[in-house]
Amino acid sequence: MVQDLMKKFHEAAVSPRAQMDKYMAEGKKIVLTAPVYTPEELIHSMGFVPMGAWGADMELNRSKEYFPAFLCSIVQSILELGIKGAYKGASAIVIPSLCDTLKTLGENWKYAVDDIKFIPMTYPQNRKPDYGIAFTKAGYERVIRDLEALGGKYDPAALAESIRVYNKHNAVMRRVDEVLAVHPEITAAERSDIFKSAYFMTKEEHTALVEEFLAELGEAGEEKIGIVVSGILTDAPQLNQIFDEFGMHIVADDVAAQSRQYRTDSPEMDDPLEALAVKFANMDNCSVLYNVKKPRVQWIVDTAKARGAKGVVVVMTKFCDPEEFDYVMIKKACEKADLPLALVEVDRQMVHFEQVRTNLETFRDMLTM
Amino acid sequence: MITLGIDIGSTTSKCVLMSGGEQIIASSLRIGGLGTEGPAEALSDLWDRADIAPSDVSRTIVTGYGRNKYEGADGEVSELTCHALGGRFIFPDLRTLIDIGGQDAKIISLSEAGRMSNFVMNDKCAAGTGRFLDVMAGILRMDIDELDECAAQSVSPASISSTCTVFAESEVISQLANGVSRPDLVAGICESVASRVSALARRAGVVPRVCMSGGVAKNGAVRKALSESLGVDIDFDPMAQYFGAIGAALYAHRQLQKLSDNK
Ligand code: SF4
Repeated sequence: MVQDLMKKFHEAAVSPRAQMDKYMAEGKKIVLTAPVYTPEELIHSMGFVPMGAWGADMELNRSKEYFPAFLCSIVQSILELGIKGAYKGASAIVIPSLCDTLKTLGENWKYAVDDIKFIPMTYPQNRKPDYGIAFTKAGYERVIRDLEALGGKYDPAALAESIRVYNKHNAVMRRVDEVLAVHPEITAAERSDIFKSAYFMTKEEHTALVEEFLAELGEAGEEKIGIVVSGILTDAPQLNQIFDEFGMHIVADDVAAQSRQYRTDSPEMDDPLEALAVKFANMDNCSVLYNVKKPRVQWIVDTAKARGAKGVVVVMTKFCDPEEFDYVMIKKACEKADLPLALVEVDRQMVHFEQVRTNLETFRDMLTM
Repeated sequence: MITLGIDIGSTTSKCVLMSGGEQIIASSLRIGGLGTEGPAEALSDLWDRADIAPSDVSRTIVTGYGRNKYEGADGEVSELTCHALGGRFIFPDLRTLIDIGGQDAKIISLSEAGRMSNFVMNDKCAAGTGRFLDVMAGILRMDIDELDECAAQSVSPASISSTCTVFAESEVISQLANGVSRPDLVAGICESVASRVSALARRAGVVPRVCMSGGVAKNGAVRKALSESLGVDIDFDPMAQYFGAIGAALYAHRQLQKLSDNK
């Protein structure tokens, strides 16, 4: 049974286009959500299906007409897919302003992909003070206006309901992360499918599937080498295959496309839009969420210790400056805590993973010899 | 117990036969790494030299860039692990190993007890690798082994400012055209490799005793420049190119010991 469910996660994870076509055939409208955080609850409440657009592993050609080579390949591949028509039929794409590269994506999208409306979501740098919350809320109001122009309808009661749906999904994703920490038999590839499929299914469907999976999960398998994985994106099949080949068990992740999405719920408040802005204010421990104290660094160390990880693997998306800046602090903190750390660099255009393999094989030896 | 370590690099293949995990009984090296006849030739050389038949070998481990494609071994191990083991075998108090191979550079830190505690790799760029020296030797129409002696005659090493191998190539050509002497150019080229690698080494942390391994270790000019840049002595052993293969043979021995302990 677990295997049947894993198959469902895998199918959804590897075929976003089929998922999109399915929803469109049901008469639903699709709004794409770019990395790293977008107000999905809002999109959902206005009658659209939010679908993650984090690009794909591919060769980049057309995006180079707009971008220099030294921008992260996630953003480049989103534009490449947009230009080549992979997202055709989507009503809009919401692109947040959370890093400099994403800002340029929005600007270029307007010119490069004219059949999918660009909706900017401008977040404040200082999100926690009242003025920051008001700024975030104003950004959401702009998203509302743009979605209304596409036929969506804003209703606070509907948003309150969508928030409940998303909070429930957050909870189930936090639960699956905890449970998988003691289930080494679930491979890194399978873990990736569980998280990735969430982007291409409605949250209601995904919550139900994960709940079923948790109920079906049997006894824990044999112990492996526990690691914490940190980075923006770790969905490359070759990367996960290497983790699995070397007996590495992901006991926790600090991955933007995975657990970072689900750590914070929207609070219960009279004004659900305010609640959504407060949620963003409360979010933390992420390279794109400004915090001068960088609690993320200690979070990684503490989580690794709490989950009994033998080491930390930082999966660096090439040319991602927010992550590059944090890496130095993560390295120092891990050294201080006597926590072995490996750094591997990945890229959406990467075909050969031999160097990653050598790196992780050596890391495995370092942890076990 | 006889064990065999094979190190298939990007440009050379090395083999080492060891007895009891303590004594090197034969070694061989052939130009030509992955995808060439190099590994087969190095092995046949080894059998010619050793008083031992292939059937006497209890376990074979392959390492290096070409390890995944080689089918005649009992197992494969990462070259960093093997270099660390091999380096520590030759220098028992080794703490930092700088390996400059044909196409990459690696720094390995070892704890006092000899366990690998950190490593960094430069695997994306030819600058700071043997490939950089190859390309430069090619432009100067020199043999790679002549660089060392030529650099020793330098009066004032030229400065090679380009990090990129392709740009450095044109820089060297224009310096030649401007009349810079060959020894000064060669010394500058060696310093350029050393400067890239020392930056990498500092990232891992440099604790003496430090040694070099890999083909470039033979180049005294690079060793000297690296030593000056890092402010530490850098040891060299004539077996420096064999550290990977020695480590593989040692690894094979450890595995055999583990197997017999588990019986
Ligand atoms: S945060 Fe990093 S990976 Fe994400 S879009 Fe920005 S640069 Fe790219």
